Amino acid sequence: MLDTKTVTRLSRKAIALATAAVLVPSMGGAQEPERDSIPTDVRVGILYQPSFRPGIVMPRIEAPAELRELADSVRTIILRDLDFSDRLQVMPVGEDIPMEGPTNYGLWDEMGAVWLLVGVLEGRADAPVLRLSLHDVVFRLLQDVRAFDLPPIRHPDTRLTVHVAADQVVEWATSAPGMAATRVAYVARAPGGSEIYLVDSDGFGARRLTDDASIALSPAWSPSGDKLAYMSYRNGDPGIYEIDLAQRRSRLLVDLPGLDMTPGYSRDGTQLGFATTIEGRTEVHTYNLARDCCLKRITFARFSNSLSPTFSPDGRRIAFNSDRLGQLHIFTQDIEDGSAELLTPYIYDRSVHNAGPDWSPTGDRIAFHGWVAGVPEIFTVAPDGRGLRQLTQAGRNEDPSWAPDGRHIVFASSRSGTQGLWILDVVTGRIRRLIRGDEVRLPDWSGRLDSPSRFTDGAAAGANSNP
Amino acid sequence: MVSTWKKNASWVGAIALASVIAACGGQTPEPQPEPEPEPQVQAEPEVDEAAEAAAREAEAARRAAEEEARRKAAERRRVESILSERVNFDFDRSDIRPDAEEILQRKVSVLREYPGIDLRIEGNCDERGSNEYNLALGQRRAEAVKRYLVSYGLEAGRFATISYGEERPLSRGHDEDAWAENRRDDFAMTSQGRLGSGD
Repeated sequence: MLDTKTVTRLSRKAIALATAAVLVPSMGGAQEPERDSIPTDVRVGILYQPSFRPGIVMPRIEAPAELRELADSVRTIILRDLDFSDRLQVMPVGEDIPMEGPTNYGLWDEMGAVWLLVGVLEGRADAPVLRLSLHDVVFRLLQDVRAFDLPPIRHPDTRLTVHVAADQVVEWATSAPGMAATRVAYVARAPGGSEIYLVDSDGFGARRLTDDASIALSPAWSPSGDKLAYMSYRNGDPGIYEIDLAQRRSRLLVDLPGLDMTPGYSRDGTQLGFATTIEGRTEVHTYNLARDCCLKRITFARFSNSLSPTFSPDGRRIAFNSDRLGQLHIFTQDIEDGSAELLTPYIYDRSVHNAGPDWSPTGDRIAFHGWVAGVPEIFTVAPDGRGLRQLTQAGRNEDPSWAPDGRHIVFASSRSGTQGLWILDVVTGRIRRLIRGDEVRLPDWSGRLDSPSRFTDGAAAGANSNP
Repeated sequence: MVSTWKKNASWVGAIALASVIAACGGQTPEPQPEPEPEPQVQAEPEVDEAAEAAAREAEAARRAAEEEARRKAAERRRVESILSERVNFDFDRSDIRPDAEEILQRKVSVLREYPGIDLRIEGNCDERGSNEYNLALGQRRAEAVKRYLVSYGLEAGRFATISYGEERPLSRGHDEDAWAENRRDDFAMTSQGRLGSGD
């Protein structure tokens, strides 16, 4: 499956080289940084430059007076999302450009824009409707249009709904959806130890989710985005709990003797992978959530630990962390046949320390952090162990987690002197800070949260809905 | 020493009484202020005898109890300090170091002496490894010590293990000294046995 994909990509690249004469630096065949950003239909000449971002302009949104403030904040949110998608170049545009009459493609073309996004806000304050139309400036045609029902003004779901619209625009323009309508769960210091927090993908609305007054660690989103598993010491003995975000209820999911830790859902949500103590060490297990049964031990390594499982998108394999070779390494393993394969390179050095694996939603890379001279840095590698690539160099960088678009990674970092969560675009290498905070760590990026009503949690209700 | 002095005091009282009786014969009864306090002095020794004996006994018992309490407190301190003594580990290791073995040997003898005492062994790590790996490593550190204690014939059921990974550092520093201090097992008494019952 993966092989055919790679072949297709390579041949596509070969065609591009032949027809458009675009020079792509050779990466030895294993590394395809532009892997998931290639629309299939248009403009060969620009599509194969990984860092090229077509320009997009979005003039001021037309709106009646009572929706004026909302319209401005909607535009701010969308423009930031488009920028954060790292697939489009947001171009500044004056507030005074006349929008009446037929679309003046020549004007936008002159500015160098490839896309023109026109927004209109209609309806009433209790039921605003955002109509977005994306125009292809080069070919002078309307690419796509859609109306988005927004929640009543100042509703806590407003931002998430607008993020969904922004993701749609990214998909229209690049044929790959954006990742704005997502959240990041993470751990931060709190009285009693640590608690689980949530923050929107644009850094807005950071809030505490748990109230355990003990040690809470390792949050993991369910694929549907309506549940979140995490480890907690709230009953003294460490166990894995699951929070239902809509109901705001939490339940004990796993409580075996010893440590129950590092939960992770399979992509279809039917399996929970986790590690638990067996005879004094830690082994990876799965539990069938759909049938609420069938605890199954996956790893068998005497005198060593196996932990932090992460499922491949097809749910057939896991990557996990183990010290069975004396050093800490990442392994992959077929869940059914059960033999572990070393993924990270063995170096005869005691300070090898690779940890925190996360299998990308596109399936073609596994991110992890590994020590370089004792300092953790973010790496990615193909599931067959080829194409190892170091992505960070400044400060300590730990615990990467993929966005659903398979090209952004959130991780904890001490770069720039203070601890925080940062987001890296693996294609362009662009980095931005998500949140600042002492001892924020163990981030986990959600899947796409595109039905906002499900995700209203009480904590967000108090937050204001405008930027 | 004190009680000898008290005995002397009652002798002094008896002599004073004899001289007063002698003075009464044939002399004009002059109202003198002296006799009046005398009966009091005279009455006291008899009451004193019993009270003193009881007091002495109570005193002795109190002293004995105090002594015993002191002894128990000292013993308790000894037991607690031996049992709570931390055990340290090398980086990314869970094997028992020679210095840790000395500490654990002291625990073994105390735990044999007090079969009612149960312990929770808490594994901890320095900040360097990954957060999640450190949980597993801390668990191994706790289990390693448990195995050691059990290997000396102590009942496994007396020991609970838990790992706090790097979540509960003793030192917040970021240097080798702080790390060495934080790589440790802590010990908490979950049942005190006769140490708690005052037996």
